[in-house]
Amino acid sequence: MSRNRQLSAGRGVYAFLGAAVLVSVFPLYWTLVAASRNNTDIHSVPPILLPGANLLHNIGQAFSQTDMGLALLNSLIVSSLVTASVVLTSTFGGFAFAKLPFRGSRPLLATVVATMMVPTQLGIIPLYIMMANWFHWADHLQALIVPAAANAFGLFFMRQYLVTSLPDELLDAGRIDGCTTRGLVRHIVLPTARPAMSVLGMLTFMATWNDFYWPKVVMTQQNPTIQLTLSELASGYIKDYSLVLTGALVASLPVIAVFLLMGRQIIDGIMQGATKG
Amino acid sequence: MAASVSAGRPARAARAPVAAHRRHRLDRTLSPYLYIAPFFLVFAGFGLFPMLYTGYVSMTNWRVDVPGSQGQWVGLENYRKLLDDPFFLNALKNTVGIGVLSTVPQLLLALVLAHLLNYRMRGRTLFRLGVLLPNVTSVAAVTLIFVQLFGRDYGLINWTLGLFGVEHIDWQAGTLSSWTAISAIVTWRWTGYNALIFLAAMQAVPFELYEAAAIDGASRWRQFRSITVPMLRPTILFSVIVSTIGALQLFGEPMLFGQQQDPTTGGSQHQFQTLALYSYNQFWGRFKYGYGAAVSWAMFLLIVVIVGANLIAARRMKGLDA
Amino acid sequence: MPTFRTGPRTRLLGAAAALTALLAVTGCSSGGGSQAQDDPNEKITLTVNLFSDFGYADLYKQYEQQHPNITIKENRADMGAHHQNLQAHLLAGSGTADVEAIEIGQVAGFQAQAPKFVNFLENGVDAGQWVPSKTAPASSADGKVLFGLGTDMGGMALCYRSDLFKAAGLPTDRDQVSALLSDWKAYAATGKKFLADSPNKDVRWFDSGGNLFSAVIAQAPTGFYDAAGKPVVTENPAVRQAFDLVAGAIKDGESAGIQAFTPAWDTGFQKSQFATVACPAWMSYEFKANPPTDGGTWDMARIPGGGGNWGGSYLSVPKSGKHTKAATELAKWLTAPEQEAKLFTEKGYFPSDQALWSQPDIANHTDPLFNNAPTGKIFSQSAKDLKPQPLGAHGAEIGTALGNALTSIEQGKTDADGAWKKALADVANIVG
Repeated sequence: MSRNRQLSAGRGVYAFLGAAVLVSVFPLYWTLVAASRNNTDIHSVPPILLPGANLLHNIGQAFSQTDMGLALLNSLIVSSLVTASVVLTSTFGGFAFAKLPFRGSRPLLATVVATMMVPTQLGIIPLYIMMANWFHWADHLQALIVPAAANAFGLFFMRQYLVTSLPDELLDAGRIDGCTTRGLVRHIVLPTARPAMSVLGMLTFMATWNDFYWPKVVMTQQNPTIQLTLSELASGYIKDYSLVLTGALVASLPVIAVFLLMGRQIIDGIMQGATKG
Repeated sequence: MAASVSAGRPARAARAPVAAHRRHRLDRTLSPYLYIAPFFLVFAGFGLFPMLYTGYVSMTNWRVDVPGSQGQWVGLENYRKLLDDPFFLNALKNTVGIGVLSTVPQLLLALVLAHLLNYRMRGRTLFRLGVLLPNVTSVAAVTLIFVQLFGRDYGLINWTLGLFGVEHIDWQAGTLSSWTAISAIVTWRWTGYNALIFLAAMQAVPFELYEAAAIDGASRWRQFRSITVPMLRPTILFSVIVSTIGALQLFGEPMLFGQQQDPTTGGSQHQFQTLALYSYNQFWGRFKYGYGAAVSWAMFLLIVVIVGANLIAARRMKGLDA
Repeated sequence: MPTFRTGPRTRLLGAAAALTALLAVTGCSSGGGSQAQDDPNEKITLTVNLFSDFGYADLYKQYEQQHPNITIKENRADMGAHHQNLQAHLLAGSGTADVEAIEIGQVAGFQAQAPKFVNFLENGVDAGQWVPSKTAPASSADGKVLFGLGTDMGGMALCYRSDLFKAAGLPTDRDQVSALLSDWKAYAATGKKFLADSPNKDVRWFDSGGNLFSAVIAQAPTGFYDAAGKPVVTENPAVRQAFDLVAGAIKDGESAGIQAFTPAWDTGFQKSQFATVACPAWMSYEFKANPPTDGGTWDMARIPGGGGNWGGSYLSVPKSGKHTKAATELAKWLTAPEQEAKLFTEKGYFPSDQALWSQPDIANHTDPLFNNAPTGKIFSQSAKDLKPQPLGAHGAEIGTALGNALTSIEQGKTDADGAWKKALADVANIVG
């Protein structure tokens, strides 16, 4: 690595990066301030920039005025199941494309890459018809889970990782030992893929947690995800902005917690994905 | 269990060579397909089929509020109508405008950030975590936060600008001001993410190149321009494409940024109604499934054209260098 | 992650099992089951979808006490989004709540869907509880189906800040104010005077052009639709007149330019950003929720131009709901005279039940929120005098489009003619 020979940072660099971090963090800090105060406080001139004592009261209000508990539970169920499914299907598919020779593998992989370009919104109308009229899944969690059970990004991400991180020699040795493909997956691929799997898992979890358009179409306020409840808080004539921002805080806390716990791995994962892609 | 047994005891395979061989061959030819099957099944059912079905619906006059209109074939009529539809053309303009405003400064800023993050420094991880943090928050949360920050009378941004003598700006009101505000939301969320991607690519650039350039007397800026940027070209292209695709699909930001009774109008004069919002307005608000589908497909074609143009431009630039 | 130590196959199986289990669970809890309705003691949750505060919280508690097996859950959305969602869910045949509110400006758009709602006439409701002008819009064309139970009415008044009036040298007594602001021309002219004389230059005359327009157009004998149900936005001179009147007032700087029903509007109430609001009875919740932080007080005078109805709603029960029988009972109870009377005296929502208008505790009611103004007298008189305006399928959306056009004038982006032209393009897109 050339890292040791990088130029060392001067004051200007620290100042600029410090400013960037400040800009990145401030809106979230402001959310905390607003969520711990009341509507009058957050509209004062000059602005009040320190947290107040209203946070628990506001959280209680947000939970009693909307079905935030159900929404959080729904989001947790959907995000967890989608994550488990995406990680598994992506690892299997990624391994096959990375290391198993088979007829049609190149055009099929090209198809996978091409589908990353297709906007989800393109299929919204038929998807809604399918869910509402054919499967009668509208407003049920499976309408969010099943269509998201696998995706091209995950598959490609795992394929890129396994191409370089999984030595052919190891697989060959496994084959000579008499491993079937399933044996290879179990004893070699999964252990090797674990770091990438956890990164993909976190990215998938956060993306699913934050998804807005499709849940907005197919779910209702009777059975919402947290993002829907959040938009309801902002529109439903409650209009106390400290409450709205309390909702934003509650909706963001789980992903921010994941981020703070596993931030290092997420960063490594994004950067690894970048160099290999 | 079977897998672990056969893997653990290679001797057993040797005992029954013929059967094992056949099974082995079957395993080798079939299992790749089994492993990719889940993805392709999901994709076929919930990706490809809806996409083609949208194409079909876009050629019908289907309005859910008009019984019997389902399957009323009109060919390309909806697409012809799009070209005369001032709301569509307006949404197209907004989408491209916001797209440019949200991608170009974002990627330039990301490049600068990456360059700075590439210095040797203390608290490296902290800085990286800091700039990436916005990316994990949701579109809904972020937009609601920024609506408050961009408030006309009591927003922090106007207050800060006021310190410098700038009059309060009604961010929702103007075309440019609303585009700027929405682009700021997008930029805030994605700059750090792209910076990390660029940073990864920068770290793959051999240090010797910079040393040689330094010996030749090239300035830092010159090194950045003639070594870093060209070496990063594939990564930049990748980021441009991904960001463009994202920008062309903007939905949650303009929807929640608006303060109208009907959130799909995108401003008092549709000044920030994007294609995605217009398509939703036609499909969900006006029940015009056929026409809404045509807007969706037009949006997809736009993505294909712009991504294609990017790829061609990149190839040209490469050609010029060589 | 410890769970990932097991083999891939068990993992996959585990995931599949979890998924199946989940599908089964969600299938039961939210699945389409009207089958359970026969058991009157089964524990059920009724969902009620509204588009603003109907003041029901205390009534729910009372109802839940009377019916221990029932839990009531209320959801709210923006008015536009609420009706869009309801239409879309009715058309798709799923996704509706047990009880859905419909606003009077939107109700005509649901007439064609009448068969998809529970018919209250077959469920022991006497249509005579309301005046025909309230029941007709919520009935099928042949009058055989009544799909909406009238909740409140939108009789109008003019709410004004007496402290700010006083500071600007205007009369503060409500009769004098009523006399001074007898029509909209006088209202706009007084606004100019207020702006000139008010010591606090941050206070505007009214909140939002769109809101003022809603009030003015509500007084016209014909609004956006003629009696035959044809949109007449361009043909009906009253629409353009109302539009120009408001546009003129905006040009004179009288509008605070704060869009109604947004968080900024609430803040406007709290921070005293405007001195008058054209206020239908149902708007009381807004005044109650956002008292001025400077200690100022609201009072209530007659609306300029006299009469008119703006808003008011219905409760409906879509047949696709899960517990239609229980929902029907709840909707009937919420709109029964006893509850309606309570909603007025406690929350300010003026009842649409005609028998209540002459009942002394309603007719003589005064509201401390508005300096003890005789709200009972004001609104019951307005209800009795009401000459209903013809309604049409997209009335509310047209109103929103014209309101948006006025907003764009407030934002300084265009003039009255430009905004009008754009609004007409919007209207064409809405009715087309």
